[in-house]
Amino acid sequence: MTPFVQARGIGKSFGGLKALDGVDLDIHQGEVLALLGDNGAGKSTFVKILAGAQPQSRGEIRIEGRPVAFASPHDAARAGIATIYQELALSENLNVVENVFLGREVVRRVLGFPWLRRRAMRQRVDTLLRELDAHIPDPLARVGGMSGGQRQAVAIARALDQGGRLVIMDEPTAALAVAETRKVLKLVRQLAARNCAVILISHNIGDVFEVADRMAVFRRGRKIAERQRAATTPDEIVALITGAHPDARTADLAA
Amino acid sequence: MSHELSMPRTPRTNALRLIDHLGPQAQILAIALFFIACCLVFTFMTDVFATTGNVLNLLRQAAPNLIVAIAMTFVITTGGIDLSVGSIVALTNALAAILLQQGLPWPLTILAILLVGGLVGLIQGWFIAYQGIPAFIVTLAGLSILRGVALLMTQGFSIPIASGTGFTALGRGWFLGMPAPAILAILAALAGLITLSRTVYGRHIVAIGANSEAARRTGIPTRRLTASVYVMSGTAAALAGIVIAARLGSGSSNAAVGFELDVIAAVVLGGTALIGGRGTIVGTLLGALTIACIGNGLILIHISPFFTQIVTGAVILIAIWLNTRLFSKLGRRR
Repeated sequence: MTPFVQARGIGKSFGGLKALDGVDLDIHQGEVLALLGDNGAGKSTFVKILAGAQPQSRGEIRIEGRPVAFASPHDAARAGIATIYQELALSENLNVVENVFLGREVVRRVLGFPWLRRRAMRQRVDTLLRELDAHIPDPLARVGGMSGGQRQAVAIARALDQGGRLVIMDEPTAALAVAETRKVLKLVRQLAARNCAVILISHNIGDVFEVADRMAVFRRGRKIAERQRAATTPDEIVALITGAHPDARTADLAA
Repeated sequence: MSHELSMPRTPRTNALRLIDHLGPQAQILAIALFFIACCLVFTFMTDVFATTGNVLNLLRQAAPNLIVAIAMTFVITTGGIDLSVGSIVALTNALAAILLQQGLPWPLTILAILLVGGLVGLIQGWFIAYQGIPAFIVTLAGLSILRGVALLMTQGFSIPIASGTGFTALGRGWFLGMPAPAILAILAALAGLITLSRTVYGRHIVAIGANSEAARRTGIPTRRLTASVYVMSGTAAALAGIVIAARLGSGSSNAAVGFELDVIAAVVLGGTALIGGRGTIVGTLLGALTIACIGNGLILIHISPFFTQIVTGAVILIAIWLNTRLFSKLGRRR
């Protein structure tokens, strides 16, 4: 089976600085892939390129085998790539339904004007939240009054409704309490169970080992290692991230 | 409503839900009570206040403020402000009189004036939305420039408008037993109400005010929409300018001094958040009527008109103070 996304030789330069260099990575549907690495290792840059927020300087991205070029996050969204941003994605004064459908409202045209179809949107959100087993009692409540975990659930429902087949989550559990973190990790597995591909950026090795099927370690703009969860240990991953691992040293020398 | 959800609702979430729904309503409720209180006080203090004649007169006088306040609700909901509406009223008011004096047919005059108002709004909106200059600055400049243009055009003189035409009927005429300006204001309020709550445009306006970056990332054309609310306020101010010119039968560059403050007061009094993200047309309606009531009632009970400003200001302060106290109390229990 062709991977959903194939990244080949992806590079990104900012002036003289090589933020990303020759990254090859496959992303499969139904799989949670964790990107790990120190700050500035290039994982966020890589994800931004995938999400269409920045164009790559070099290399090619293929979706289901076909090369694509994203000019904007909109292009990426159309190709089925949904990104969940940490802070900026939700409007606090709008309710759950309005947030899920923000920018893509379901409308009925009467006299040439688009009127909101509030009941249809409401029903769709009810279904999504039930499927995700998200604990949001009232979809008409404002998002501003919700916990971090509930907000993540809203963002995930939004990504799913957009037809997201690859969901990118950047530090979804940062700043969450323990119980909330559990819920979000469960949601991540739910996504994979629905045959979505999930990319998870996280600094929390414990979280990563709990949900990820595969891990890719970035260091100084390169992907220096890729491991199946079953075939590695937290110690090895930490060693790769910090540069203590022999593979990391080899990569450092080659750079 | 969500009984099909897997999780049973606890009493705590029920309480939260109540607060969530009550929060914005509380503000409208507060201003509604305030409005009723004002009406009652004036009804008891003078026999004239609660007569049909006076109420219709009050509506006619409140109409320009109401029309612009509806548009201003949209502007403030996006997190912006339009300080130039008073000057736009003066400009269009004077320009209407000049165009009519030049012999332009009145329907064409009205069309031209509305276009001028929209164009002024578009220029200001462009600076705000596309050039990123704060709305306060742009419209403050507009306030000064546009009043200056009006003064220059009229040389400071008041320009008479011949009565008995369709134009003056807009200000003085009656329709279905109501003064024409009141009808216009009611139509504007209905349009605003439906647009803000029932259309995609309205939802996007709220979304921009709530979190403009989130709105942009969902693909909402935030800049175009931000500019559009200033076109709306400009056009509404032009309509108010027409109504005022038609009612007074003259165009003057000195019209509507301080008008923008009354309009903003009405909007804020109604519970629309100055920081954006929350707007209510019903609240604005009540706010504008309350201000009109106070002005009208104080004159009827023979209190010096100079007091009107003092009382209006005090009412705004007290109402908002009560609102924020009430509001923060509800909010703290979250």
